Amino acid sequence: MSVAGNGSGAAIEYRNVFKAFDLPVLSGVTLSVEPGEMFALFGPSGTGKSVLLKTTIALVTPDRGDVIVGGESVYFGGRDALERIRRMVGFVFQYAALFDSLTVFENVEIGIPEESLKRMRANEVAHRVSESLELVNLDPSQVLGKLPSELSGGMKKRVGIARAIAGRPEILLWDEPTTGLDPVNTAAIERLITQLSDELKVTSLLVTHDIEGGLEMCDRVAMLEGGRLRFCGLPEDFRASKDPVVNAFTDRKAATAALDTLEIT
Amino acid sequence: MAPSGFVGRFFIAVERWSSSVAEHAGQLGLLAWNIGVACVRLRVSKRDILRQLHIIGIQSVMIVLIAAALIGVVTSQQGGYQMQSQIPLYVMGSVVVESVVLEMGPVLTAIVMVGRVGARITAELGTMKVSEQIDALVSVGRDPIEVLAAPRVIAMIISMPLLVAMANLMGITTGMISAQYTLGLGSETFFYGARLFWHSYDLLYSLMKALVFGVSIPLIAVHMGLRTSGGAEGVGRSTTQSVVFMTLTILVIDALFPPLFLN
Ligand SMILES: Nc1ncnc2c1ncn2[C@@H]1O[C@H](COP(=O)(O)OP(=O)(O)OP(=O)(O)O)[C@@H](O)[C@H]1O
Ligand SMILES: [Mg+2]
Repeated sequence: MSVAGNGSGAAIEYRNVFKAFDLPVLSGVTLSVEPGEMFALFGPSGTGKSVLLKTTIALVTPDRGDVIVGGESVYFGGRDALERIRRMVGFVFQYAALFDSLTVFENVEIGIPEESLKRMRANEVAHRVSESLELVNLDPSQVLGKLPSELSGGMKKRVGIARAIAGRPEILLWDEPTTGLDPVNTAAIERLITQLSDELKVTSLLVTHDIEGGLEMCDRVAMLEGGRLRFCGLPEDFRASKDPVVNAFTDRKAATAALDTLEIT
Repeated sequence: MAPSGFVGRFFIAVERWSSSVAEHAGQLGLLAWNIGVACVRLRVSKRDILRQLHIIGIQSVMIVLIAAALIGVVTSQQGGYQMQSQIPLYVMGSVVVESVVLEMGPVLTAIVMVGRVGARITAELGTMKVSEQIDALVSVGRDPIEVLAAPRVIAMIISMPLLVAMANLMGITTGMISAQYTLGLGSETFFYGARLFWHSYDLLYSLMKALVFGVSIPLIAVHMGLRTSGGAEGVGRSTTQSVVFMTLTILVIDALFPPLFLN
């Protein structure tokens, strides 16, 4: 915890993050997530929620700005700091991103950091993998030996979550973990997120289109729109907001109305 | 003021082309450096290297030998045809051995490997890139250079000289046999001719070529794979570009070899 002048103690802090591909995507996002907090990020499709999550561990490099994770700078802290940050953070990809030439077992095993793997005995590793799979409501005996191509979309997604939690990260970035899951599995994943936060004090930053779920579970929520934060605050304030763009997300009728009047793409 | 007309456009094209060549060259250099660093830090798993040696080296033996066998036959046939009785037949021994060892063995093996291994590497890594598997690898704290690039490059560097040596042997053997059947040139005369013009340096030259090809092919293949974007079409595009790029590189290196190393 040594990097220049950061006394805030936030788990993740985005500082004025800019990113453009062909068009600007993020135009100055500043946001901090406190340790142990469950934070939900909403926003229309294509506004850069996934891009923002990816800047957290330098999968996408911002054009300007910095991200501070656990007190260390992702972009100015050097290679070792980045390695520490990546060990500390688990990432759940929107489209699972499983290694398609590896079995489910190997896919989850690789989520455990190399240093830990070296110290662990084979049965400890196997136990950790099974445990992670059980946490996402998958039956290890049925899936362990399978290849990703033999799994359904929802199963892939849950294996992706198992991989992200297998390394016991302190921070978890969830890119739409429940999209495409049935209600029972959605409940299982939501319970997992809550459990991780309550019992292990894991910090969760959750990108989701399940507004109700996000508002119920999370301590704070934010809305990204047009490259900036449109809202950031408590769930009850989000519900009470008079902002038409926010309303469009909390109220189905307002959403239909917004379709005609607001420029949300 | 934007340059217009043919000349203007020509210079813009040249500028764009040369800056993209410079960009590729820079990235290739960086990739080579990073792979070197990974090796020195002993961060490359032996198991991965062995796996790649199997895929890249052992599984290529058959096709390389077949290509070499045919090349030996063709060289000896064509040489025999061109010489038809004006030149003493034992010269055929030298023609076959020298053209196989100096040129055909290394270059043909390299071209075969571009298709069999280079294209495969680009397509494989390109698919991993567009499906976010590379991102996922990074997210779990693994370095794609250490885990994916280095084992492939190392395996290829080890395999190439061995494959070229085998190809040389095979090409000479089939060239000799074919000379025996079609020209009636006995193996003793064949080797007499071969020895007459043989320098032991020729073998070194052949293996040096193999080594340089063995470095260039996987470096380009990995580089093109990792910079793939744009879904299935993107994978197709970068694989094609990669094959073109590797083939041209081999031919250019091959053309540079004689002035640099044969005097
Ligand atoms: N690698 C890339 N190259 C070019 N453009 C990109 C890239 N990644 C993202 N974009 C662009 O950035 C914008 C934001 O993409 P992003 O995936 O972050 O959206 P999102 O908010 O996650 O949307 P969704 O809710 O649909 O997942 C999109 O317009 C997309 O076209
Ligand atoms: Mg997204």
